[in-house]
Amino acid sequence: MSGLAHRLSAPNTYRRLGFLLSAFVLGHVWFLVLVIGWSLCASVLITPLVIPALLGLAAASRGCAQLEAGVARSLLDVDAPGPGFPHRAAGFWRWMGAMLSGPFWRAQAYLLVRWLLGVPLATVLIALLAASVGLIFAPVWVLTGDGAHVGGWHVHTVAQALVFVPVGLVLLPASILLGALVARPFQPLARSLLAAESPSAVSPDGAGGPPAGRVGGPPAGGVMGSPEQRRRRRTGLRAHAAADSLVLALLIAVWAITSRGYFWPIWVLLPLALALAIHGWFVLLGEHPEWVNDIFRSRAIAGFAGVCTAVELYLIGVWAAAGGGYFWPVWPLLVMGATGAVWVAATWLSSPRHDELTERIDTLETTRAGAVDEQETELRRIERDLHDGAQARLVALGMSLGMAEHTLAEDPERAGELLAEARVGAEQALRELRDLARGIHPPVLSDRGLEAAIAALVSSTPLPVTVSVSVDGRLPPVVESTAYFVVSEALANAGKHADPRRVTIDVRQVGGELELEVTDDGRGGANPQGSGLRGLRRRVEALDGHLAVTSPPGGPTTIRAELPCGS
Amino acid sequence: MRVVIAEDLALLRDGLTRLLRDNGIDVIAAVRDGDALIREVVANEPDLAVVDIRLPPEFRDEGLRAALELRRRVPGTAILVVSQYVEETYAAELLADGAEGVGYLLKDRIMHVADFLEAVRRVADGGTALDPEVVAQLFRARREDAPLARLTPREREVLGLMAEGRSNAGIAETLVLTVGAVEKHVQSIMSKLELPPAASDHRRVLAVLAYLREDV
Repeated sequence: MSGLAHRLSAPNTYRRLGFLLSAFVLGHVWFLVLVIGWSLCASVLITPLVIPALLGLAAASRGCAQLEAGVARSLLDVDAPGPGFPHRAAGFWRWMGAMLSGPFWRAQAYLLVRWLLGVPLATVLIALLAASVGLIFAPVWVLTGDGAHVGGWHVHTVAQALVFVPVGLVLLPASILLGALVARPFQPLARSLLAAESPSAVSPDGAGGPPAGRVGGPPAGGVMGSPEQRRRRRTGLRAHAAADSLVLALLIAVWAITSRGYFWPIWVLLPLALALAIHGWFVLLGEHPEWVNDIFRSRAIAGFAGVCTAVELYLIGVWAAAGGGYFWPVWPLLVMGATGAVWVAATWLSSPRHDELTERIDTLETTRAGAVDEQETELRRIERDLHDGAQARLVALGMSLGMAEHTLAEDPERAGELLAEARVGAEQALRELRDLARGIHPPVLSDRGLEAAIAALVSSTPLPVTVSVSVDGRLPPVVESTAYFVVSEALANAGKHADPRRVTIDVRQVGGELELEVTDDGRGGANPQGSGLRGLRRRVEALDGHLAVTSPPGGPTTIRAELPCGS
Repeated sequence: MRVVIAEDLALLRDGLTRLLRDNGIDVIAAVRDGDALIREVVANEPDLAVVDIRLPPEFRDEGLRAALELRRRVPGTAILVVSQYVEETYAAELLADGAEGVGYLLKDRIMHVADFLEAVRRVADGGTALDPEVVAQLFRARREDAPLARLTPREREVLGLMAEGRSNAGIAETLVLTVGAVEKHVQSIMSKLELPPAASDHRRVLAVLAYLREDV
């Protein structure tokens, strides 16, 4: 009981109530916005006006959702920043893609729920509250007027009315508590649907826009975008379909209960299906980025083809629902077909090197992603080495010195031991830092070039190595360091896994290329996908070079790299 | 003994200056780049220049280049190069025209103050001080050498210390042997490697280094 009383006196109970009641006004407004917006879009669908209409709808939905986010923050205590508006810096089409991306659809879903569920809930709540207040004040009405109606009864006397007062007194707090309870599921809903703009939505591959993260996607996700992105897109599509089904089920129920005559819900079904089809097409393109390259040749054409197909099916639906007759959808079909054909022809013919360029861009994207990834891994390794190595040693050294200082007066001999310990620690820290620095960039490489650096490498390995280096002077620093790391990694691998009797290193400059070959007669079977060789490949490919590893079981292992050394 | 120091990091420059002064060595100048070093040495003709390899402006091997220039311009100056890393290539460049009054040590060695001061005095007196790391690199480069393989482990140790530039007395002290025992090892090494018996310590260093650096 005290728990209930506590809840009744808690301010957030009334805030939640306020949230439910607010739907009575807001829900109707959102309904109007959605209906007017989508009708407008549908009516200008095959004209260029559809772009401003869609943008207007997007802006309105985002604005409404922003307001709802404010309501949710103040009345539901939910941390919902709202969808916001994307920046316009990226250019008009990207901005438009971002405007129509995930947050737009989530805002739509939220507004729809606020209308579909919110308005009936608010109505019931208002009725309950009004009824309980009416019951409580029943005696007053008997006294001031000619009685009150409660249900089927007509109450005439104060005595009769007094019977209803306790009922009202129970019903009022019950309604309040019920309202607060019913408002609770809206909290997670607001949190997920009124989240902030995800950063990827502003990028060219936002969820609503054409295919998934080809640009800058980490190689783990490949060209399909990260698994997380894909999962979110699919969830968005499912939510969209579910919301549509709900609206439709409701309308069909209304139709079934009322006239059952002409099947008017078809006019809502058709635009909903159109929007869902377009949404679905872009999600599908995101899942199959190869379609863009293989079939459509460009994202814009892929998007256009999908939208045109959906629109034509929509028009055929309209034609059929309107009773058939003269097949007028043939005209928009012809117009859209001709536009598409001209566009495709222009795209294919105007750039004969299109394929080549696309391939080149794909390569660059992949290799850049690889290089960035590799750099990241390398930085993490360095941080870990510093943390576990030199830093830890310096801490230990500091402790030895501190202890030596402490014992100096009473036990000089012990202090002397501690100082010696500290010196050993300092030497180890120095050695580790030196090894680390050499692993990052050996000083001799920048000071004396590739040949000297490889000689130094060879003199520090226990393997029997034959070297031949023929390079004219100095190469670009990045070529030198990449070549150095190929040799260093190959030697390290041979030392660790192959147990070779002989290793040969052959480095020569042939025209504009540096060719490196490291061969060992060890046991072979090196895994080209292992982290070391993969890292090497990424470094080499980032310079437009080639790395080939042949390592049959039983050996020999050859690692061969070609590096362009022009600028 | 009068010394000039060239080191760009103030912390190390001051530390080194203090360490040498505390041990009765007269630091007449401590400069931060190669040009200043050459000016000081040419003007004051110290007994020894202690030089860091990596100096301004490029922070590559300016110190080494300055040291090599000093060897040409003021031939009597002993030079001790100290660095955070050692490379056999640099040692080869430093030793290219003689091992007399040449030292090349890791900065780590400064922490063994007694050894370091001994090396400073040895180089200033025209001897050699080569970092054990360099010597280890030389040994690795010659690992397939048959005569070298015939040495006993103890003889290899003695050879390493010889290559570092130690005298027989120094070797005896390090390995806790008598000077006589060291002399016997040295004779045995020289005959196994077919090297002529050397008259002085620095001749011996040269012969040993020449042997170790000879291409296989």
